[in-house]
Amino acid sequence: MDIVITDSSIRKFLDTPADSEMLSQNVSLCGPTFDRIKKIDGDFVYEIEAITNRVDTASAQGVAREAATILTQFNIPAKFINDPYKENLSFPDSQAKQFNLNIERDLVIRLVALSLENISVKPSSKETQSFLENCGQRPLNNCVDITNELTLLYGLPSHIFDLDKLAAQNLTIRESKRGESITTLDDKKNILIDGDIVIEDGSDRLVDLCGIMGGQVAEVDDHTKNILLIVPVYNPQKIRKTSLRLQKRTLAAQIFEKQPDPELCLPVLSKAVQLFKERTGAVISSPLFDYYPANRSPKIISLDFNWLNTFVGLDIKKETVIDILASLGFGGTKEGNGLACSVPSWRYHDINIREDLAEEVARIYGYFRLPSVLPCVNLPAEPKNHLFKTELKSKIFLSDIGYHEIYNNSLISLQAIEKSGQDSSRFIKLKNSLSQDFEYLRTSLIPSALENHKHNQGKADKQIKTFEIANCYQKTEGQELPKEISYLAILSEGDYRKTKGDLEALFQKLRVKDISFEPSKVLPPFYNTVATADIYSEKLMIGYIGSIKSAVSRNFGLTNSLIATEINLDSLVSKISQEYVYHPISEYPSIIEDLTVASEKSLGDIIEAIKSTSKLVKDIQYLDSFKGKHSFRISFQNNEKNLEQAEINSLKEIILDLFKV
Amino acid sequence: MLSLKSMGTKINEIDEIKLELKRDLRDSFSSDSVDQLNTKYLGKQGKINTLFKTLPVKTDPKIGRQINELKNLIQEMLSAKLTETMGDEQHSIDVTIPGTEIPRGSLHLVTQAIEEIETIFLRLGFVRRRYPEVETDWYYAEGLNIPKEHPARDDQETFYVGDNTVLTAHTSNGQLREMELKKSPPIKMINIGKTYRRQIDASHTPMFHQFEGLVIDKEINITNLLGVTEYFAKSYFGQDRRTRLRPHHFQFTEPSFEIDVTCGVCQGTGVIHKIPCKVCKSGWLELGGAGMVHPNVLRNGGLNPDECTGFAFGWGVERVLMMKSNLPDLRLIYSDDIRFLKQF
Repeated sequence: MDIVITDSSIRKFLDTPADSEMLSQNVSLCGPTFDRIKKIDGDFVYEIEAITNRVDTASAQGVAREAATILTQFNIPAKFINDPYKENLSFPDSQAKQFNLNIERDLVIRLVALSLENISVKPSSKETQSFLENCGQRPLNNCVDITNELTLLYGLPSHIFDLDKLAAQNLTIRESKRGESITTLDDKKNILIDGDIVIEDGSDRLVDLCGIMGGQVAEVDDHTKNILLIVPVYNPQKIRKTSLRLQKRTLAAQIFEKQPDPELCLPVLSKAVQLFKERTGAVISSPLFDYYPANRSPKIISLDFNWLNTFVGLDIKKETVIDILASLGFGGTKEGNGLACSVPSWRYHDINIREDLAEEVARIYGYFRLPSVLPCVNLPAEPKNHLFKTELKSKIFLSDIGYHEIYNNSLISLQAIEKSGQDSSRFIKLKNSLSQDFEYLRTSLIPSALENHKHNQGKADKQIKTFEIANCYQKTEGQELPKEISYLAILSEGDYRKTKGDLEALFQKLRVKDISFEPSKVLPPFYNTVATADIYSEKLMIGYIGSIKSAVSRNFGLTNSLIATEINLDSLVSKISQEYVYHPISEYPSIIEDLTVASEKSLGDIIEAIKSTSKLVKDIQYLDSFKGKHSFRISFQNNEKNLEQAEINSLKEIILDLFKV
Repeated sequence: MLSLKSMGTKINEIDEIKLELKRDLRDSFSSDSVDQLNTKYLGKQGKINTLFKTLPVKTDPKIGRQINELKNLIQEMLSAKLTETMGDEQHSIDVTIPGTEIPRGSLHLVTQAIEEIETIFLRLGFVRRRYPEVETDWYYAEGLNIPKEHPARDDQETFYVGDNTVLTAHTSNGQLREMELKKSPPIKMINIGKTYRRQIDASHTPMFHQFEGLVIDKEINITNLLGVTEYFAKSYFGQDRRTRLRPHHFQFTEPSFEIDVTCGVCQGTGVIHKIPCKVCKSGWLELGGAGMVHPNVLRNGGLNPDECTGFAFGWGVERVLMMKSNLPDLRLIYSDDIRFLKQF
């Protein structure tokens, strides 16, 4: 949490010659971070980030304690002064009772209260007003300003009620009931549900939304004479829930949800009474009320010096360790080669194990004083991960031959699913999506690619060719988690043959075994049935290539013919050849002949047929087709000897015979 | 009678002229310079004429012949050189002509960053992993020492897939999965993956990438985390960058740190031309969180915290990318506009 406090308020608790720059820089290295510094009216205003489990540092007093310890380590004289825990506290107990408080179980950790009379309400002094303004708070009157000032100084919010506005001076702290409402000091009416902590004044009126904001009913105003002052510590989970639900993130709420120290209640009450006396002429009109049902047992944690040095990676002198811990308020007794440390009340929640103590010692000693040492960890040999390598190789190859890589969100809209003709029930849907655009986990990368092409229409001057490699998510029956499979999708304007050529070159580059393309049997819904191939490596299907259905293109607002490829990379990787096989190069020249055959068969079958005629057919290059006639350029070669023309002629005859009608 | 001495001198001069010509030919690249050589050797005031002129009246005819041979040789060589240079000069090229374009695609910025990050950690002997993006509560939170009622749970940033499953907002689920995979130390992995948060603004996109490092062995300590952090920062951002640790809090590490790297824009001074640097906080940029693995997390991963310790960090790929680029808005990274993509 971020707090805003002034340099002068910190110095109420800190005696040091260090200037603002020295203070902020050194403390930032070892404790709370001073994010920004502003100079206002001869004072400095700090924005300080109090670490989330260190609510004890969210105040001038808390920062001062850290600063005193830290500056000392930098050899700068510094003393923590006006320690609230060391104040002498005394409250008169022979007063008449002015109010009654009933507290339901488990809502309040501690609550101290008393009433004051003879109040005269007026504006605060200039000094108080400018302190509050510098810290981002609005001065109201001398009474309310006291509670706000003390929150900033001590990190524990208090609250005041106009005692005369409370119907029966008979208050109950209880959980709210669904449908109850309270109008808070910000003039907003809040509708409550079951379980918010509230104070009711004995006549069914709610007078406080506890720990978050007071109610308007008992607001202190210019005519107030008697007040009830409370310094509470509430159940933190409940405060957090209410504050988040009502979106009331007041400073009080942010502190109470982190459970401040209940031992701080009395010192703050005492300080408040003193200020009320000084600034409003108040007189105490009740005995002290102190509700503290569960006194905490002391917390002792063992710290072994050897373990500490091993864990930090540096030998820190025992005396230094003891000094640091003592300065932070820890008690300690010797225990073997170490300490039994007692945890101070304000650190009760964040210090639990020896590692926590190690942190205290190491950070105050100074992380910046630790050397950088690369760990000497020797992993045994790991099996190669072919997926990462294949993904990167594919990306580099495709981008080198003209494709643009795109990263799309893994989440798509219902609209995109429906536009691509898919069944949304097979998708995993988020329970709390941010918007309808990002709601379902993709099972294919193609719909996103179609959107990419739509977005680029009219922008790119050339053919649009894109690709993406990302996980797809498949629901699996009986499994809590979906299968996450790495896919490659390519979408390009232009013809099938060109894209297939690119893809074949990629497969060769990746050394994928025995690739074949067969008219598709398993069609994803967005492919044109008669213009799609299933791609196999050996017997394993690894993906598809084909045209996008015209209806689907239209749904995405696209008019060009589009060729889409989608490859399951997890499957592909299992078919990558891991060996290097050498084929001797023939010393004899190959002879090249062009040949035209007429056939109804598919080109793949024709080529297979030609290839199977003789071992001397080394290579077949497809030239073109015209009216059922197909031309090929065939290379003949014998590894053992020169080929005779007669031999080639007879091979040509055999091939042509295959296609005689 | 001509002295033998003077005859020898002339022969020496002939040899010298031959040598000089060789050098001159080697150093001339244009027909103009060959023309100049023509004048230098064969012109009226040329070397050959000068040689003839300085011959004593009574000279051995052999010398005269030799000079004539030299003259012929020079003529031949110069004419050959002229043919050669003129030939080349006819084939001049306008070198400013634009090159023929080959199809040019582009590799995404995130891919380039991940590749760079991966390479750095592989050099340190880390092994790369990828763990689930859709994850159960145990690996994502409970096992990472974040109990059901903990405030870190109602961060409002997590996407829920089911009652017990989320779309991961961090890559730390890889920590427990790696411990389960390896069963015992040593562990040294870098888990790079997609992560998701319910946030969108100039510095957040709902989908982004993180890289999670985890090192566990006997006696791994805080200085080791510093070592790896500094190695990464210097390798990725530059040798002049410095790093620092600040105290922080995470449930799954103890102690926890925030790691800062000096700002590249103001060189870590926090000031540019006497104005506070707009990019950083007082000279430092936040890299991300790190810490010593919490003993409870080691236990939940099946390891014994009395026998091993470790550190972990989880940093944003887009974050380090933004720290190194001048992109004004993180959302730009996820633009699909080819005019943007092809810039990289």
